[in-house]
Amino acid sequence: MSLVLAVCVAVVFGTSVYLLLSRELKAVAMGVFLLGHAANLCVLAQSGPPIVVGEEGAVLAKRPPILGQGEAAAAPLQTLVDPLPQALILTAIVISFGVMAFVLTLLVVTSREAETLDTHELMLLEDEDVPTPLAGVAVRPSPVVEPEAKAA
Amino acid sequence: MSGNLVGLIPILPLVAALIQLVLPGRVGACRAIGVVSLLSILALSVGAVISITPSDPSQQAGVLVSQMGDWAAPYGITLALDSLSGVLIAAAAAVALGSYIHSFSSLDPAVEKRYFHPLVQLLMFGVNLSFLTGDLFNLFVGFEVMLMASYGLVTLGTSRAQMRQAYKYVLLNVLAGTIFLMAAGMVYGLMGTLNMADLARMVAEAEASQKAYAAGVITADEVQTLPAGFTPLAVLLLMVFALKGGFFPLWFWLPDTYPTLPIGIAGLFGGLLTKVGVYAVARTFPAIFASDGMGGSDRALAWILAVAAAFTMFFAVLGAVSQGRVRRILAVHVISQVGYMVFGLAVALWVPRALSLDGGMAGLTVAGYAMAGCVFYMVQHMVVKCSLFLCCGIMEMHAGTDKLDRLGGLLKRDTALAVLFFVAAMSLVGLPPLSGFFGKMVIIQAGWRELWPLSVIGLLTGALTLLSMLKIWSYGFWNPPKAAVVNAPEQVRRRGRSAYGGAAMLVGLALFLGFGAELIYRVALQAGDQIMDRRPYITAVLGEDGLERVEAYELAIAEAEAQAEQGDPALRLVETPADEAEAATPPAMASAVPETLAGVIPGAGPEGRAPR
Repeated sequence: MSLVLAVCVAVVFGTSVYLLLSRELKAVAMGVFLLGHAANLCVLAQSGPPIVVGEEGAVLAKRPPILGQGEAAAAPLQTLVDPLPQALILTAIVISFGVMAFVLTLLVVTSREAETLDTHELMLLEDEDVPTPLAGVAVRPSPVVEPEAKAA
Repeated sequence: MSGNLVGLIPILPLVAALIQLVLPGRVGACRAIGVVSLLSILALSVGAVISITPSDPSQQAGVLVSQMGDWAAPYGITLALDSLSGVLIAAAAAVALGSYIHSFSSLDPAVEKRYFHPLVQLLMFGVNLSFLTGDLFNLFVGFEVMLMASYGLVTLGTSRAQMRQAYKYVLLNVLAGTIFLMAAGMVYGLMGTLNMADLARMVAEAEASQKAYAAGVITADEVQTLPAGFTPLAVLLLMVFALKGGFFPLWFWLPDTYPTLPIGIAGLFGGLLTKVGVYAVARTFPAIFASDGMGGSDRALAWILAVAAAFTMFFAVLGAVSQGRVRRILAVHVISQVGYMVFGLAVALWVPRALSLDGGMAGLTVAGYAMAGCVFYMVQHMVVKCSLFLCCGIMEMHAGTDKLDRLGGLLKRDTALAVLFFVAAMSLVGLPPLSGFFGKMVIIQAGWRELWPLSVIGLLTGALTLLSMLKIWSYGFWNPPKAAVVNAPEQVRRRGRSAYGGAAMLVGLALFLGFGAELIYRVALQAGDQIMDRRPYITAVLGEDGLERVEAYELAIAEAEAQAEQGDPALRLVETPADEAEAATPPAMASAVPETLAGVIPGAGPEGRAPR
């Protein structure tokens, strides 16, 4: 079971890295989403295998971690699921959801501003030069010729 | 001061942010709420630091602990404020206040209305939570809250340059966050706990049992060992913290991102964010991941840190000297200065813990001294770096640009700015009466005996720092003005009143850190001592009996030694007080919960997990 999970984590991570290295920003965003899932799966694996092999080789699923439910109390660590990794995952999912929303918004804004989502084309765009100077005071462009402009 | 007031420190900015969110157009009200919130964090943290610092320097400082919802330590969420956290929260609040006030006049009003105020408060929420939290997972949460707010601030104003850098910033931090989450999960899988004090307890017990084995009081089977994957996990976490802190070689994102931000925000980021990464290393590594007696793994981590420190200091300052824009010089300098902090950390982990400092100061260890230097340097660098960015903001108001070849004549045009910049720049360089000197002196002195190549690089870096600051000074202030059309000085002075206020406040604080260095060092030395000797932190969080087993081991060793001196070595293996203590006293935490639950709780598990 751990092996299956490990393979899953590896595959999701691999896919996500492949997407992150892509030139297209939409694919990069998808990579970001998958990254969170891979990490969550990895944390889930920390709660141990979800099944126990009982008496006479009977395979039993672990029970929810609630005390006083039948025979569970006898050996709780063996028969109950460790709930903490799942609590961690829940928190992490909420956080990655926020990041996801932010990245999507960033994509929309970028495509409006730059009219492209290709990282190579974005790199070729020139920056607007002036950093926000004095609030409310207009800065007239200086007549001094840009040295960079000359070089170009 | 009661421990429960500690909870207020992260909550205040959160509440302020929520109020500001419902008042989007009311700039005046938002500003007032923001300033009040930052001032109260400052007051609370300064009060807390004063209340835990004993008047007699030979005593150890206390730790204020708040268990959320009154759930006892390793199971609930713990907030703990010791000297390190307290002093960093105070510095962070001061820096945020300065750059916040500066932004009132340097930020475009249209941008300011777009949620600038709540984002700053949420950033402070994340930063304070990171500084206070007592477990690894909430450190992750604190980081993420801080990063979400910083993503918002990075893209505030949505200029093209910002958009482009935002991707780099967001992607790298998401990657680091993912690795952090995985590493935290694996720490839980290996150790069965995420609480830092509980982890530190397990490491301390493992060490003590190894010492007891070496002294012959316990048998080989009874030695507690740490699981094999512990050090690789530590390296994984170090990678995460190094990326946040901008250590070599993971600093490439920083010099591109910071210069594109509105200047007040750049100052806030330059002052705060990298230090959170350094703090995380200082909090977790000496106490947990790079501890004594772990079969040499402490040296391995110290090697990594030492190499990172050397390259961070030296390459970054070379980068700074080569830049042609004030913002870029300052941004690259952030990294170079982080190198000094890493240097302090490396020395603290490198030298044997018990090695005492020769010279006048009795009772100090070299490790604690280096750590104190690191803490002082963090505080002074936050303040000084932020004030330099704020001065750069005023320079831009005059000249409309930060390109060195278009600045000039600022000394005549604005003497006040020149004085502010000069004091801040010389503090950064570390000229004697100013604050940087005291930070560098202690770190370089601590490293001199065992890691002298780093000390030499540190001195060289200081000289190059001077060069780069003089570059700004001579181009910007001494050279004749080059650009033909600029804002008139009166106009700048009238419109930029709060910009001057913010910068002057921080420069004043930097002066205080220099002239009142002794006062700050009293707290910093306490902090260094607390970081290296984790006992007060463990007992404060886990309760008085948290160190029961460690003490039992030590008692056993002491008795064995006493018997050996009496010439009766045969008695050594007869009695093992460690086991006796274990049998006599029931596990402290388990007794607080129902008997049946005790088995479920990880930490009482089988191999690899050290039971109480």
